[in-house]
Amino acid sequence: MTALLEVRGLKMHYGTVKGDVKAVDDVSFSLEAGESLGIAGESGCGKTSVALALMKLQPGNAKFLGGSITLDGMNVLALDDEKIRREVRWKRISMVPQAAMNALNPVFTVKDQIIEAILTHEDVSEKEAEKRTLELLKRVGIDPSRAGNYPHEFSGGMKQRAMIAMALACNPEIVIADEPTTALDVIVQAQVLKVIKTLQRDLGLSMILISHDLSVVAETCERTVIMYAGSIVENTSTVEMFRHPLHPYSVGLIGAFPKLTGERKRLESITGNPPNLLDPPPGCRFHPRCPHARDVCTRIVPPLLETHENHMVACHMVNRHPEYR
Amino acid sequence: MGLLSYVAKRAAFAVVTILIIMTMNFVIFRMMPGNPVAMIADMVRLRPEQVARLYELFGLDKPLWDQYVQYMVQSLRGFYGYSYYSQRPIAEDIMVRLPNTLLLVGTATVLSIVIGMVIGILAAARRGSLVDVTAISFGFLGNSVPVFWLGLILLLVFGVDLKWFPIRGTTSVPAPTDPLALVLDIMWHMTLPTFALVIILFGGYALIMRAAMIDVLTEDYIQLARAKGLDERTVLYKHALRNAMLPMVTVIALAFGFLLSGALLTETVFSWYGLGRYIWDAILKQDYPALQGIFFIISVMVVAANLIADLVYGFLDPRIRQE
Repeated sequence: MTALLEVRGLKMHYGTVKGDVKAVDDVSFSLEAGESLGIAGESGCGKTSVALALMKLQPGNAKFLGGSITLDGMNVLALDDEKIRREVRWKRISMVPQAAMNALNPVFTVKDQIIEAILTHEDVSEKEAEKRTLELLKRVGIDPSRAGNYPHEFSGGMKQRAMIAMALACNPEIVIADEPTTALDVIVQAQVLKVIKTLQRDLGLSMILISHDLSVVAETCERTVIMYAGSIVENTSTVEMFRHPLHPYSVGLIGAFPKLTGERKRLESITGNPPNLLDPPPGCRFHPRCPHARDVCTRIVPPLLETHENHMVACHMVNRHPEYR
Repeated sequence: MGLLSYVAKRAAFAVVTILIIMTMNFVIFRMMPGNPVAMIADMVRLRPEQVARLYELFGLDKPLWDQYVQYMVQSLRGFYGYSYYSQRPIAEDIMVRLPNTLLLVGTATVLSIVIGMVIGILAAARRGSLVDVTAISFGFLGNSVPVFWLGLILLLVFGVDLKWFPIRGTTSVPAPTDPLALVLDIMWHMTLPTFALVIILFGGYALIMRAAMIDVLTEDYIQLARAKGLDERTVLYKHALRNAMLPMVTVIALAFGFLLSGALLTETVFSWYGLGRYIWDAILKQDYPALQGIFFIISVMVVAANLIADLVYGFLDPRIRQE
């Protein structure tokens, strides 16, 4: 069985005057049709870089050094610009970008921007596109009478909803939501997440949700991937991830998160800072901060292995001592 | 309603601005050192009673306040008085030269704006490429060259040495009588000054356009436009340009505002029979009414251009319309 989206050994660096920033290093994961996958990690761990690469929207200084991205049997990285533009972007993969506040063009009405997306990919009349746009807006909870407004006349939550409506405009198979709620206050955040969750379920969408906020991922996604310094350290079902995290970094992240029920205790924190990706540490990139690090961790990059059923982790200590769990 | 009150507010501002400028125009020339009558009297050695008669004729014997009121009323009627020097109504002097200046500077300004904008957009779209670096370098170079020097060099090379273009004037003397021949003759005469103006002007527009585009191209909505699968042309010319035009509109409006006086040096170097040279002569001869008249017209044009810019702004950017 092949998944809808397969990322294998993706390696992408950014060329800068100071040298290459090793932003994405050997990243592999897959996404099944209808599945919701959360990618979590600190800022700068490569989450957004991976997301942009899926649509080949990486910045100009990015270099692909290896790996493949396969969408339904089609190698995305091998497609030329024209083909990716017509066949992948928005038609098969769309996105709700980071800071959706600024993702709407201030000089066009919200309606026109959604209609534009439909007309770019589908051979329908403008009237038909407008009708669909109004339905989409209704679906995300925006009064269609506001459709002709400009983005500055919308509140933050409304802009975010409008972005979600736009992302759905061409019935894509995959929606990438990059920090979709980060700029919103918690109440609006909860509302927007609910919209995302409902739509994902009702439309049978595959979704990749990227967030530094574990609670957002936990609430929305069936599966969770944790990234650290450009690599995936752990990949399992969300329930398993929160109950039995294996990688010391995941353990630290989840431990740093207060529980609503249960005993009150001091939150644990991970000492140190993420490495500079211009010159990441050799071996396991987490080893300088890892309480369990041994000699081998400083020399050999741990592969991402399925150590338990449907539970992949990249850690020498876990691989050697399953009882470490 | 919003748009209408926006327009009304802008227009009212424009009228008040013009009245203030007229007053300042009056004050500035009274404060300038020197005395036009004394200058004329000196030149032709007039008797004291003749000098007194001149003062009376020019109205300079009246109190300042009277002069001011008369000046305001006459200006608003389109009468700027008689030139101290040519003794002709200034409006007439201006009208003879105005078409020449509009033709030369208008053509050069439109050309520079179009060329500058195209170069600026291309440079921004390929930031850091050879196209970009070359465009910026030539833009800076052109912008930094003094126009009188460039004009003289052009005259020397293409006029004196190669003899491809005439070295002075607006038309041949005598001017051809056949209309088509006349048009060609004028175009032939304006080639070099137009070329000089375009070279010094296009760089400024190119740099401003490039900076505005680069600013806009890093915005999130541009990345989203690409993610939507729009082709690069739509991204550039629809989504980016409309936003990047906002700073350009002001610059373009000002360029048209200063159309009449902008080519003072160029017109002088190429002996172009236009308003720039008229200003130059009027300054040398302390011809107050002439300067007042022409400054008034320039002020009205600048204010009008600003008003138009404000209105275009409101059209381009929905956020301003609402203010």
